[in-house]
Amino acid sequence: MTPETMPRRSSIAFAGLIVCLAALTGCGKTPPAYFRPNMVEATKQRLTPDQEKQVATILLAMFGTPDEPVCLPETGLDEAKLRLAAGPVRSDIVGRKNGLYREHCGHCHGVTGDALGPTAAFLNPYPRDYRPGVFKFKSTERADKPTHADLVRVLHKGIPGTSMPSFALLPAAQVDALAEYVKYLSIRGETELTLMRAYFELDDEAQGSLPETREFLIDETLVTVADKWKAAADAEIQVPPMPADIDLVASIAKGKELFYGDKANCVKCHGVTGLGDGQANDYDDWNKAIVEIGKELSSGSAAARETSTSGMSPDELSEHRAQLAWLDKFGRVLDGDALEPRTIPPRNLRHGIYRGGRRPIDLYYRIHAGINGAPMPAAKGTVPPEEIWHIVNYVRSLPYELDGELGADKPMLARDRF
Amino acid sequence: MTSMGLSWTFLLACLLVAVTAVLLCFGALVTTYDAAMAVPDWPATYGHNMFLFPFAEWFYGPWDLFLEHGHRLLGATVGLITLALAAAVWLREPSATVRGLVVAAVLLVVVQGALGGARVLLDDKTVAKVHACTGPLFFAVAVAIAALTGRSDMGRTSPALVGQASRLPSSQRPALRVAVALVVAAYMQLVAGAQLRHLDAAAVSPATFRWLVALHLAGAAAVAALSWTAVPLCWSHRTPARRWAVVIALVVACQLALGAGAWFVSWGVPSGLLPASWVPSEPIAARSGRGAAIVTGHVVLGMMILGGSVALAISAGLFAKSPARGVA
Repeated sequence: MTPETMPRRSSIAFAGLIVCLAALTGCGKTPPAYFRPNMVEATKQRLTPDQEKQVATILLAMFGTPDEPVCLPETGLDEAKLRLAAGPVRSDIVGRKNGLYREHCGHCHGVTGDALGPTAAFLNPYPRDYRPGVFKFKSTERADKPTHADLVRVLHKGIPGTSMPSFALLPAAQVDALAEYVKYLSIRGETELTLMRAYFELDDEAQGSLPETREFLIDETLVTVADKWKAAADAEIQVPPMPADIDLVASIAKGKELFYGDKANCVKCHGVTGLGDGQANDYDDWNKAIVEIGKELSSGSAAARETSTSGMSPDELSEHRAQLAWLDKFGRVLDGDALEPRTIPPRNLRHGIYRGGRRPIDLYYRIHAGINGAPMPAAKGTVPPEEIWHIVNYVRSLPYELDGELGADKPMLARDRF
Repeated sequence: MTSMGLSWTFLLACLLVAVTAVLLCFGALVTTYDAAMAVPDWPATYGHNMFLFPFAEWFYGPWDLFLEHGHRLLGATVGLITLALAAAVWLREPSATVRGLVVAAVLLVVVQGALGGARVLLDDKTVAKVHACTGPLFFAVAVAIAALTGRSDMGRTSPALVGQASRLPSSQRPALRVAVALVVAAYMQLVAGAQLRHLDAAAVSPATFRWLVALHLAGAAAVAALSWTAVPLCWSHRTPARRWAVVIALVVACQLALGAGAWFVSWGVPSGLLPASWVPSEPIAARSGRGAAIVTGHVVLGMMILGGSVALAISAGLFAKSPARGVA
């Protein structure tokens, strides 16, 4: 061929090479799934590698692996359900599917339930990190765990206005198994947190090692965490029914008064317009923890930079270097194990999208108990139940309120403005 | 040649392309429904010889089993057609290029079958990714064989194949370059897409996923730019290239919309790209038929774009000889 021969052999060979290389992308055996250690907490607690290893060993014995979960009776979990949800995705000849969590949830929530699944960074809000054991949308008091039915409901209905889909098309047994597995991940994550924090309280005799006794590991640690889940079954908020003869117009007017008044003071965050523009700089608990660590790191780094090492004793110098190494490590851990913190805007109540559910009772729960993990406070103790119903009625009327107060020239549906 | 003037090799090649397209649809559905492990053994199906597995148990059985076993049956069918095509080409086709492509097809179909088996026996997502990348490669080769053995191409754009040294006008070179680049870009897009589809939640971090998404978006931009550039470049051609270029340009536009839809039904509104008020008031239903159709359609259309690009490149003069220096 001449140099101008078309197509040039070298070009074809090059294109072929690219194609072949592309076809082999990612070659190499996939490592078995594992639970990622909570490195943010481990670094925050300044655990040594040996201590990190001890926690991992204890958790492995208590909870097993993502492919082979262990279910101690103290957790109160159903092992059969866990096995349905755990492991890689597969199904049998009659169509029974295993590995449900990795099929439906792991991409966002992560195999560990740490909200560090591959897609997490693209979601707003971020997916829930189960490890602190904090859940937002439930029928129990703010500090309580959700009931099993609450988790099933969230899975069934999804969370409107977020990326959390509805799994209503899945068989009920599969949804049930997923809810059980979420509890398993949460109990595991909270146990891990408890163990990591326990090092801080060790006395000198322990020599930096947790006691590996049944009394400490099971009775003091696991049972304490698991019992909160068990207690949730009986902790459902007792909601007085809305009076059947309620005058809805008067109730809405009363609710509006409460919304803007000092007693409920919803206006502080949701804004005078109800557009959720009252304040926009707060964080939920998950993001707030990362923000606070970031501040600690910044101030620590600034202090370390300003510290002169001249005149330091060998011990002080060693301590200073350890501090610098810790700061450096923490920075790297945050880069890999935490997402960029995001503020949590208060809900725009004129969209008519309620993440925890649109039933009146759902709104009652949110107002009564607040939203755990979010800045939304509980009205319980401040606002009596019948007045909470007035606020519920007013909130439910907001998407349809004719817009006289928002500065529009003519009456219009508020949601048309956005 | 048949009475209509079509060669048996061409007809067999067309059959191979058609059955492979169906096979790819099944493969894409297997991934969409995570059904790859619905049959735990290979090459047998639940202990039965693959071809002797009870029809009723397969056809009326669970959806995952239907997809996975159907994928295997189609894969075996494609393998047999490929062997028949290879025999036909060897007996009747003098072109070294076509013979070379058929050898490549036989090798690829064997490798692809083995990869499918390994994916099941090892239950390994990495093997699944490679399997997903090799499928479109085989499809591209099948399309190339069909295009080269086709009557119109034999007579017009690729006379070199029948031993006549033809000349490719230099004015057609830019179109050919763009078409070849489009083939490479379309394939790379499928490779990037396979990394996103066969996402291992246990092994991929959010940072890696971000890079994969960026790569896929950049690939989409490249494919779109190349396909739309091909239209004006091929417009003056008196070959099927013009038709192919227009069809691909339109399909790519649909593909972009499907890509956005596939993201939406999989992961909702991407953070930061759209205003909050665009977030739908109702949650997406996971595992809905509509969602599966959108996601699978996106994958299948991507493969069709690759096949079309190969046909375009051949119509635009790939494998034809160009003029010697100074002749053009």
